Amino acid sequence: MIHADVEDVLLTGEEIQARVAELGAQLAADYEGRDPVLVSVLKGSIIFLADLVRAMPMPLSIDLMEVSSYGASTESSGQVRILKDLSSSIAGREVIVVEDIIDTGLTLNYLLRYLHDKGPASIRICCLLDKPARRLAPIEIDYRGFTIPDRFVIGYGLDYGQHYRNLPYVGVLRPSVYGPAEPA
Amino acid sequence: MWISRRAILGFDGAIGPTGRYDRGAVAATLTKSSPRFAHQSEAELARILDFYGVAWRYEPDIFPISWNADGAVVESFAPDFYLPEIDLYLELTTLRQALVRKKNRKLRWLHQLYPEVRVKLFYARDFRALMVKYRRLDFLADVAAMNGNGPLDDR
Repeated sequence: MIHADVEDVLLTGEEIQARVAELGAQLAADYEGRDPVLVSVLKGSIIFLADLVRAMPMPLSIDLMEVSSYGASTESSGQVRILKDLSSSIAGREVIVVEDIIDTGLTLNYLLRYLHDKGPASIRICCLLDKPARRLAPIEIDYRGFTIPDRFVIGYGLDYGQHYRNLPYVGVLRPSVYGPAEPA
Repeated sequence: MWISRRAILGFDGAIGPTGRYDRGAVAATLTKSSPRFAHQSEAELARILDFYGVAWRYEPDIFPISWNADGAVVESFAPDFYLPEIDLYLELTTLRQALVRKKNRKLRWLHQLYPEVRVKLFYARDFRALMVKYRRLDFLADVAAMNGNGPLDDR
């Protein structure tokens, strides 16, 4: 059943699950015997993370971070803030940053600088969706699920106004949901 | 000839002791004073870059792109932003198709004359998508109300 606010289904649940299984197998092979820590960024990435780790039959640990977003913080200090920090040290650990989507790359760019200062042995990036059209920060993605076109997507963890995260697929949000039609 | 980015960064003291860009120094020296932006959308993009700690400069370089028979510059291109840490120029562009075509033409000439210079065009639809992402549709509405048109449409 497609949600009424979804204009188009970009990736079905089956396509996502198949690709996540491939990514998990690849990560498991690459990190065999290395006990990596997967660091995910709240809130959008948790569904991807939950599926990904279950596709990685190996010793690993997970940790979660949350950072403030520009739109929600225009009244505050004017700088990104860590809302939830790592629970454990990553010094000397093999870190895999797990992201749901990389768009401008600004948030991840900030996070990578922050994580590098914690002294990990290595940091690699695994993202489900890569939307390169509007990239403003250089990000080297090591594990990529799908490259997607420049459309506003929701579902499988991705939200608009905190809604739609529970959709099992990735869909394009109808523009009428977030504002008047785009000028011609 | 245009002023080199290295000259700008060297002048600003943004090169650290290792010879690489010192991020903190870049951000502090390049963005400490707010320039006079030509459009509210440019100011908003600057605030976003500041928020995420990305250093920028506003219109630091002017690239001549055509000359008359006497060798005088008759047309030039000054990208809106320069991001020194990734050596990238950003140009915000317009909703009006005629101006988009003009800017695209300038960009083609720039690429031919200065192939080493990286410029990313940020179209009005890209900016609008950014505002949707950050739930800043109120900003778009304010700009439209102020100008009687869309973002970047009055340039």
